[in-house]
Amino acid sequence: MKTLPLPSGLLRTLAGQALAFVIALALGAVIILMIDESPVAVFMTLMRGAFGDAEKIAGTLLQTTPILICGIAACIGLRGGMFNVGIEGQLFLGGFAAAWVGFAFSLPPVLHVLVAMLLAVVAGAAWVAIPAFFRVRFGTNEVVSTILANYIATLLTSYFTIFLFKRPGGWSETPPILESAYLPELFSFSRLNIGLLIGIALAIATALFFRWTAKGYAVTMVGSAPKFAEYGGINVRKVGFGVLLVSGAVGGLAGGVETLGVHHRFMEGFAPGFGFDGVIAALLANGSPIGTIFTALFFGALRAGSLLLEVDTTASREIITVIQALIILAVSADLLMRRRGDRTGERRWKF
Amino acid sequence: MDLAVDLQGITKRFGAFTANSGIDLAVRRGEIHAIIGENGAGKTTLMNILFGLLQPDEGRIALNGKAMVIDSPAVAIAEGLGMVHQHFKLVPSLTVADNIFLGMEIRRNGLIDRAAQIERTRVLSQKFGLRVDPSERVAGLSVGIEQRIEILKVLARDARTIILDEPTAVLTPQESRDLFATLRSFVDDGMTVIFISHHLEEVMEVSDTVTVLRDGKVVATRPKTSLSKRELVRLMVGRDVSFDRRPRGPVDGKAALEIADLWARDDRRLPMLKSASLTVRSGEILGIAGVAGNGQTELAEVLSGLRPPSHGSVRLHGQEVLGLAPAQIRARGLAHVPGDRMVRGVDRNASLSANMLMGRQDKAPFSHRGILSWATAHAEMRALIKRFDIRARGPKDPARSLSGGNIQKVVLAREFTAGGDVLLIDQPTRGVDIGAQEAIHDEIMRQRDQGRAILLISTQLDELAALADRILVMFDGRIMGEVDGEAMDEEAIGLMMAGVDPATPVDPSTGIDPIGAAAAPAFPRPPASEEVR
Repeated sequence: MKTLPLPSGLLRTLAGQALAFVIALALGAVIILMIDESPVAVFMTLMRGAFGDAEKIAGTLLQTTPILICGIAACIGLRGGMFNVGIEGQLFLGGFAAAWVGFAFSLPPVLHVLVAMLLAVVAGAAWVAIPAFFRVRFGTNEVVSTILANYIATLLTSYFTIFLFKRPGGWSETPPILESAYLPELFSFSRLNIGLLIGIALAIATALFFRWTAKGYAVTMVGSAPKFAEYGGINVRKVGFGVLLVSGAVGGLAGGVETLGVHHRFMEGFAPGFGFDGVIAALLANGSPIGTIFTALFFGALRAGSLLLEVDTTASREIITVIQALIILAVSADLLMRRRGDRTGERRWKF
Repeated sequence: MDLAVDLQGITKRFGAFTANSGIDLAVRRGEIHAIIGENGAGKTTLMNILFGLLQPDEGRIALNGKAMVIDSPAVAIAEGLGMVHQHFKLVPSLTVADNIFLGMEIRRNGLIDRAAQIERTRVLSQKFGLRVDPSERVAGLSVGIEQRIEILKVLARDARTIILDEPTAVLTPQESRDLFATLRSFVDDGMTVIFISHHLEEVMEVSDTVTVLRDGKVVATRPKTSLSKRELVRLMVGRDVSFDRRPRGPVDGKAALEIADLWARDDRRLPMLKSASLTVRSGEILGIAGVAGNGQTELAEVLSGLRPPSHGSVRLHGQEVLGLAPAQIRARGLAHVPGDRMVRGVDRNASLSANMLMGRQDKAPFSHRGILSWATAHAEMRALIKRFDIRARGPKDPARSLSGGNIQKVVLAREFTAGGDVLLIDQPTRGVDIGAQEAIHDEIMRQRDQGRAILLISTQLDELAALADRILVMFDGRIMGEVDGEAMDEEAIGLMMAGVDPATPVDPSTGIDPIGAAAAPAFPRPPASEEVR
């Protein structure tokens, strides 16, 4: 794909991010040394935990799936100049909506999945519609409003689960969904399901949309040069609203995939941090949907690998969070430095 | 001879490209020395070498008679050199005084002594006649004041030789005049000014000595008094360039754009367009003259649908278009070359093809059923590069890699081929090289000859004199009067630009400032009804 006009620029990006990764891993090694573990052993365990055998690889891909779909949701927003940090909330509401359709209705197999997914998508879009409206109508900062909406969404779904739809018994979870609403699994030995294929197809479709359609061009222009887009006759508000809605819809879809494919019910805290990991995966991939496939895989591997880490070493799972944070720091420093180089002497930020 | 700056044989190469080749430059103390040349002639490179931002490959530098190696700006500053960059480097959230002392804060007990900074700023501001409010935040200030702050920053660091890189590019004519007066007072104080520009009039107005650069070489260094404007152009461009009035046939087209009693407000919600009425016919160039900021921008924005009007009527070929969205107005035949081309006219980071596509991304042959054909777009852009003589390697170049003049040609190429037969052209040659200016003027005349109706907004009178069939003058949001382009009376235009109503007689024998005398009756306070529109 020739998405970037300057191949040297692309090379520069890749080289810069690779360097950032190396620095982050080196810093991670230092921290591992501080807790008296061998960095080599920890990394080997991580690798084995993530890619050791077919089952482990499937486990990694299982973790990758929601991060990937959430990442695409973030990419869509970023391309249109909208920073949707509320994907976590959209994921929770989408997950709950899909579960509700799954246990409360009885429908024929394929239709059941489609209706559940549709409601997940609608729930995600509806949830982002509120911040989106305030953004385009009154210029409210969408970063703030979508972050705040996350808290409401997670607590709201908890409320639904505990007070309205709780399954009799101990856990804070809804009744299981009917089998007609299950997403088909890919292998017999893992809960890995077609959600992964949905995510990859979505990534490719999104990339193609931005590159090859008139609407994708309009969205890209609104994101990169809003005044120019307005001058050229693009309705900037409408596009901005639409971009957030679609981004939220994809976030809802991620929740639907997670419920119908993995847990087969909605439970409190069913997908901790996938929405945020998705946003970060998209940022690390510089807003490229294809790139997000790889960054999501990386985060998925870290999550999956950390499970074995706790079993085989004295390092705790939290070390993964530390390494993840270091990588984010290093890569965003690289992004910032690059941006500063690009805008020599230009005054783009004004408070 | 007492030289503030003495450069000898400066050569600087970037890869295979030689930006400066054997440049000698001697700047006497106490003069305003202009360095003039087209974009890419090597002016900025030379100044960056002088200021220690770049290292020359060959050559010697002497400041105040001392040979030196300037390997960082700190060395240059210590030797009394100060540079005001073309793009200002101020922190908008800080106050004027904080900006001036940024990096050299006045400290007391380890903390910043804001009161002392404000006092020092006030003293500096008074001493050099650069009026600023030291405790105001920079965020809301105009570019003219921002430039004053930049100059004060340099003065606060005790500069005796001040380099200004294209200082007037962002200023209104009044602000430029104020700046020139300030520079003159610096020189009277024994300071030295090096002034980089590609604007002929300014150079002729303000400098004592002129050095002309072309293709990285010095073409001439002469006292200004021995140079004419025509000569200067020939030295800069390397050939004769004509800015005479373009020959033309009579206008006989029908009215294409009719504006009647149009009102609009500016961003501060103040009335900025007041009862403007005008008509442009097919095959006619109607010029709008006026000092920047007198409602021309608002007029252009209302016409193209980017700014909501308060009241009035705009007809394109007899059809009312006021209040329609920009896309609908475009579809009815208006093409718009915006005045602020870097923000409105292009996406600097997108490719030329992507820039060309704007406004036609959902039209055949560039897209079918919403699917883009980049191949068609690239082919079209390649054709436009050829036809408009755009200096670019190809359609996939990002716009930012082009010079200002070539970016403007990309905008013109897109708008002139968009199919509209009414062209709204705002500042076609602002910041554009002289050679490219001529080509842009040629293209505008070609559009006229093809029967397009052209509304040409320009702050440069010589541009209007060369192109316009009729000229309207705007002042304070009103159209003050009309001047025939064939027999342009610069005096009359100048008075109208200053706000003198041509209908109000001025007694020349009294010698009273006509602006002060005439402005009062010509501009009664707007009636109350205006405020509620």
